[in-house]
Amino acid sequence: MDSFQKKFIEEATDLINNLELAVLALEQDVKNQELIAEVFRIMHSLKGGGGMFGFEDISHFTHNLETIYDEVRNGNLPVTEDLLSVTFSSVDHLRNLLNQDALNNEHIKKNHEILLERVKAILQKKDTLQVVADEEQVEEDSKSKLQTIYIYFAPNESIMDNGTNPLYLIDELCSLGTNSLVFPRTNKIPMLSRFNSSKCYTAWEVFMVSDVNLNEIQDVFIFVEDESEIEVKKIADFDVLANENFIEKIQNLYQKKNHFDPAVIKSLVKDIANQKKSVVANVNEKLKVFTKENIISSIRVSSDKIDQLMNLVSELVTTQASLSLYVEENQVYELNLLAENIENITRQLRDTAFSISLIPIETMLTRFHRLIRDLSTEFNKNIEFITEGAETELDKTLIQGLTDPLMHIIRNSVDHGIEPEDERIKKGKTPQGMIYFKAFYSGANVVIKIQDDGRGIDLEKVKQKAIDKEIIASDAKLSEREILDLIFIPGFSTAKNVTDVSGRGVGMDVVKRKIDEIRGSVELESKENIGTTITIKLPLTLSIIDGLLVVIGDTKYVMPLNLVNKIYAYEHETFKNAFNNIVIVDGEQIPFYYLRDEFEIPGTPLEVEQLVLVKYEDKKIGLVVDNVVGEYQAVLKPLGKLYKNHEIISGATILGDGTIALVLDTNKIINEFSFKN
Amino acid sequence: MANEEIQITNSYLTFQLHNERFAVHVSKVLNILELVPITKVPKSPEYLKGVINLRGSVLGVMDIKMKFDFPIIDYTKETSILVLQVVIDDDITDVGAIVDSVHDVIEVDEKQILPPLSVGIKFKSDFVTGIIKHNKQFIMVLDMDKLFNTEIKAAIEELA
Repeated sequence: MDSFQKKFIEEATDLINNLELAVLALEQDVKNQELIAEVFRIMHSLKGGGGMFGFEDISHFTHNLETIYDEVRNGNLPVTEDLLSVTFSSVDHLRNLLNQDALNNEHIKKNHEILLERVKAILQKKDTLQVVADEEQVEEDSKSKLQTIYIYFAPNESIMDNGTNPLYLIDELCSLGTNSLVFPRTNKIPMLSRFNSSKCYTAWEVFMVSDVNLNEIQDVFIFVEDESEIEVKKIADFDVLANENFIEKIQNLYQKKNHFDPAVIKSLVKDIANQKKSVVANVNEKLKVFTKENIISSIRVSSDKIDQLMNLVSELVTTQASLSLYVEENQVYELNLLAENIENITRQLRDTAFSISLIPIETMLTRFHRLIRDLSTEFNKNIEFITEGAETELDKTLIQGLTDPLMHIIRNSVDHGIEPEDERIKKGKTPQGMIYFKAFYSGANVVIKIQDDGRGIDLEKVKQKAIDKEIIASDAKLSEREILDLIFIPGFSTAKNVTDVSGRGVGMDVVKRKIDEIRGSVELESKENIGTTITIKLPLTLSIIDGLLVVIGDTKYVMPLNLVNKIYAYEHETFKNAFNNIVIVDGEQIPFYYLRDEFEIPGTPLEVEQLVLVKYEDKKIGLVVDNVVGEYQAVLKPLGKLYKNHEIISGATILGDGTIALVLDTNKIINEFSFKN
Repeated sequence: MANEEIQITNSYLTFQLHNERFAVHVSKVLNILELVPITKVPKSPEYLKGVINLRGSVLGVMDIKMKFDFPIIDYTKETSILVLQVVIDDDITDVGAIVDSVHDVIEVDEKQILPPLSVGIKFKSDFVTGIIKHNKQFIMVLDMDKLFNTEIKAAIEELA
């Protein structure tokens, strides 16, 4: 595939995403002309681009859709439920078509044909619908298409020589409009002594409200074009003259000045337009989100370049750390200041560079809007999806890792959480269910909350199921929290009937695992009949972690600080004599792993060693190391291909003195060693 | 220009492993480093010596001598690390290879490279793609892609 095609795919993906957004907004406001125009424009771009870069299927497919939306735009077709659902299916289908061989797939090909048929059916329906639609639209159309035009007409003095009467032209002009204001300009009329009655000294300025296009207006002056100064300008997309304020102001201006200043007119129109807007602002809020996106000036950068930038910045951070170390050790006064400056700039540079790789959560919200829309139609449930904090930014890799688990959670909410309308009414709830999505920063974390006001989780049922599945003993006494945590245990799924949506053999355990993978945590709260809240906590970035720097032998290691619980010093004898690798810490039995042996590191152990307690699932496990150096902000680097199957080390980081510390994946270490034992 | 390019594509870096000479095409070699301290990665096979800091990125280092059953001797000040660009699992990646010493770069006409013998040589010919006769000495051209890939497969087997 050549690079142009790749570019097109990138662009088309964006276009399709925008299309989905526009169609979602259109569904809320089916008469919104701007949204319809936007849908049309995207279809048009897809068609054009597809044809140009050899995506004939896309081009062909969008052609008919474009025709439909052209008709819709012209008011010949209404936006119907049917049309929207075809458009939504088309959005999905278009995504498939970006793969050029897609039509070789039987399933996709079938879908392609079905959709084409449906599109054609809508186009055919158009003729029968047109009459009805026309009547409905007449009033709206005439209103919405009105525009205000400013015409300046200054004939030459000699215009009347060939028999033209400028007043007739003005009359003809005014007959084109529904409403007009004519202002003659008489300032060029000379003193009576020099006045020649066969000459025309007057110019005219006309404000006219009309639905004809500018060319037709220009045509009025077609025979005098060469002998006069003519200016035809659209000043507004609506009827300005309907506004009395404007007329009054214009008349004032006319009396004061001889010529209308275009800038003044413009600002007047703008004021009126703003008044108008504030009235319809509520309706258009969705649209605003949409246009906001287009205004933000941004450039497209390949993620490779960003990765490279991040690497360089990390390198700089490391180099700067060694400079600071050198200055500290050698006490060079002149260098001290310099090093501090560099440290300062490096920190700012690092923060900026990291912020570049962050993208707003908004980018995945469209998908959820869509999901909820589709699911609520399918299950016949009435659900409102409210989002807050869509501008919260996350590392792009985190967003990629989050989408699937979040989809799953939302599916669960729609499928099991929110009750059908009649059930809700019986319970005295609002008929419309609600799913509330909120994202916000909290310290060095991003928190995502998904809340529904559905039936909540039946604790008894969960417990009974755990007993049936022999996950817990039948007489186990569990706290509410512990019962809810059962849901995250592999092989647990509460759905009574396996539905297409949630029960796909993956349950909340997969959600938890996926979120663990991106070093996040997940928590669940639920009140029966009030609803369920799932809280996900994530680190801001994947490339830097807060770690605990420890030493074993002559190698340094980093453990993720958020997993470290406590550190104790013990004599080597304690570990050597420990029975079954268990030590008693604060009256608690703690299993431990002696890392020097587990890692097969040669050399003699120290007399006093450190026991680091780390969290593992809901247990505490000890890891024995030689020494603890302290906290360390580690820039994570991959170990490279040679070690790609090496699970217990999740990466490496370069220390201030240029040496390498290995980052331990404590969960995997414990998994591996406990499995082995 | 054209001449230069042709020359470049026919250059080979030669190096020593035990008492044999080997060569690798210069397009594969990014850098030659003197031996630096290597951070050993626990629970990894013997010939994966560990990782080093190569200007801010982490580079895995392998002792390729171990692949050829050469006697293991202590590292000397001649010992070097070749930073090579190899293809592992269809991805281009940088790796380090420890060699006993690095010699010179030689220009070789393609015609001078003989196919490897399938019998009668003492080394596993899987990794040897050709033999150069240079100043009455035989130099074996190594296929580093293959060497590192096979190395990794062997590593997986040992870990399992």
